[in-house]
Amino acid sequence: MRKDAWILTALRILTAVLLLLVIPALVGGLFRQNVDKDMRGPVFQWISGQIFLWACFQIICVPMILLEYDFGYVVKAFNGVTVLAALAAAVSLVRNRKAVTAVTEIRGSDRKRSARNILWILFWMILLFQFVQAVRMTYRDGDDAFYVAISSITQEAQTMYRKLPYTGYATILDTRHGLAPFPVWIAYLADMTGIRAVSVAHVIAPIALIAMTYAIFFLLGRVLLQQKRDSLPLFLIFTEILVLFGDYSFYTVENFMIARSRQGKAALGSIVFPMIVLLLLILLRRLHEGEKISLKSYILLAAACMTGCLCSTMGAMLCCMLVGIVGACGAVVYRRWKILIPMALCCLPNVCYAVLYLVLG
Amino acid sequence: MWNNVTILFDEYMGTGLIIILYLMSLIYLWVKEKRNYVRILFIYVPVILLFFFFNPFFAGVLYKLAEGEIYYRILWLLPVTVTIAFAVVTLYGRLPDKNRTVFALAAAAGIALSGSYIYRNPYFQKAENFYHVPDSVVHICDAIVVPGREVQAVFPLELVQYIRQYEPTICMPYGREMTVDRWNNWGELPGEMEKEIINLSRLAPLAKEEGCHYIILSEEKTIVGNPSEYNWEEFGRTDGYVIYRDFDFSLDIG
Repeated sequence: MRKDAWILTALRILTAVLLLLVIPALVGGLFRQNVDKDMRGPVFQWISGQIFLWACFQIICVPMILLEYDFGYVVKAFNGVTVLAALAAAVSLVRNRKAVTAVTEIRGSDRKRSARNILWILFWMILLFQFVQAVRMTYRDGDDAFYVAISSITQEAQTMYRKLPYTGYATILDTRHGLAPFPVWIAYLADMTGIRAVSVAHVIAPIALIAMTYAIFFLLGRVLLQQKRDSLPLFLIFTEILVLFGDYSFYTVENFMIARSRQGKAALGSIVFPMIVLLLLILLRRLHEGEKISLKSYILLAAACMTGCLCSTMGAMLCCMLVGIVGACGAVVYRRWKILIPMALCCLPNVCYAVLYLVLG
Repeated sequence: MWNNVTILFDEYMGTGLIIILYLMSLIYLWVKEKRNYVRILFIYVPVILLFFFFNPFFAGVLYKLAEGEIYYRILWLLPVTVTIAFAVVTLYGRLPDKNRTVFALAAAAGIALSGSYIYRNPYFQKAENFYHVPDSVVHICDAIVVPGREVQAVFPLELVQYIRQYEPTICMPYGREMTVDRWNNWGELPGEMEKEIINLSRLAPLAKEEGCHYIILSEEKTIVGNPSEYNWEEFGRTDGYVIYRDFDFSLDIG
C-alpha cells in the first residue's frame, strides 16, 4: 500500500474511533451527575452517551424515512444534534468538575492485588481475542443480504428503504423495516468515515458493539458486587466464557452478539436489554435506599427504550414489557406506586412506534 | 399454540445444560441473595417473563402481531449470562480461600462443557478480505461495475447473498430470496442457471427478458450452444467463474 493510502486508512479508522468512542464518551458527560454515585466513570459515560445518541438518531431518522427524505439530510441533522449534545456535555463537565469523584480505590493485601491483576489481564486477553476474531473470521448469514445491503444502498444511492435490498429494484417505501433503521446508522458511520458500509458492518461495528456489551457487564458487575469489587474481573471472565460457549442454539443472544453483531437485533439483545436491566437496577437500588431518582435517570431509560426501537421493530414492545414488569414489581415490593408514572412515560415513545408499526407495517 | 411455544423453547435451549445452570443459579440466588432490588431483576422478573412466554393467550396475541418465528426473542430478556456469572462469583466468594481456585476452574470447565464454542459453528469461516465477502465476489463486481450507473447481472446462487452487500450498484433479477426454500420464490431463470448443463437456448432468452448486461456462470458448468448466437461475449474469467457480456443491452451512461 502506498504511503498516502496508509494515511487515508489511518484517518478513516481514527474517525471511526472518534464516532464510536470519543464523541459518545463526551456526550455521556450529560449523565455523569445525578444518575448514580457508582456510574460516574468513563465507561458509563461512553455507554450512556452512545445510547443517548442512538435515541437521537432514531428520532431524527424515522420521520425522514417516512417522509422519503434523502439520507444526506439525516447525516446533516444528526451531526448537528451530536455537536449540540457534545457542547452541552462539555459545558456540564466544566461546571461540575469539582463534583467529580475519584474512582473507588479497591484495597487489599499484595497477594490479593496481584491475583486481581492477573484476572484483569486474563479478561483483557480474552476480550482482545474476540476483537481479533471479529476481524479475522466471518459468519455466513443470509440476513446480511438484507441488512448490510440496506446500509450499502443507503450509502451509495442516498435513499432509505426505497430499493429492494435483494435485487436493487425501486419499490414503495418499506415502512415496516424503516421504523427500525439500525442499518441506516451503519450507513451513517460509513458515510462519515469513508469506509465501505460492508466493512463497517462486518468489521468496525462488531468491535465497538462487542466492547459495549462487556462495558455494560462491567457496570452491572459493579452494582451487583458492591461489597466484593475484588471479584469484578472474575465476574467478567465468566461472562466471557458464557458468551464464547453460548452457541448452544441458533437463537441465543450470545450467538447473535458474536456472529451477527452488525444486525440491529443483535444490538437489541446484547446491548439494549442489558442496559435497560442496568438502569432499572440502579433505579430500584435508589428506591431501596430511599434516594431520589433524578430526571436524567428517566431520560436515559427512555433513550435506552427508544434505542430498542432503532434496533428492531419487536424491540419497541419488548423494552416496554421489561420496564413494565420491573416497574410493577418495584412498585409492589417498595410500595412506591408513583414510580409507575415516569416509567410509563419512558415507554411512551415505544408505544408510538408500536402503533406506527401496526398502522403502517 | 402451546406446541409451537414449547418447540421454540426446546430449540432455544439446545442441549439444555446452560439453561439448567441458569435455573440452578436462580435457585441459589433465591436462597442467598437478600437485596430486594437484585431479587426483583434477577429472580422475580425472569419468572414472570417465563410465565408470559409459556402463556398460550399471550403467545397467540404476539404471534398475530409480530412474526411467530421471532417469538423466542422474549427469552433474550432473561439475563442468563449475568445471572450465572453472578451466582458463580457469589458462591466463589463464600468458599474458603484454598478451595476457590479449584471451584473457579471447575465452574469454567462446566460452562464450557455445557455450552458450545461459538467459533466452532460451521457458518464461521476465515474472512478472505476486509469486506467479509468471498474474494470471487469482489473480483467479479470490480470487473463489471460501471461508475455512474447501475448494471444488471445474474449470478449463481452461492454468490447472490454477497453481491449487493459489496456493490449496491449491481442489480440482480433475483437475490437471496431464491435461497430460502420456505419462501417459495423459485423461478425459471434460477432454475436454468443452477442446472449442471446450461442450455443457452433456454437461459439466454430468460436473461434477456430481465435485461441482464452480464451473466456469470461457474466454469465447472457444461455449456450447450454458441454464446455469440445470442450476442454474448466472454468478458472475463476469475475465481472459477466466467463472465459473459450481453451486447444487446447498452452500458452507456445517461
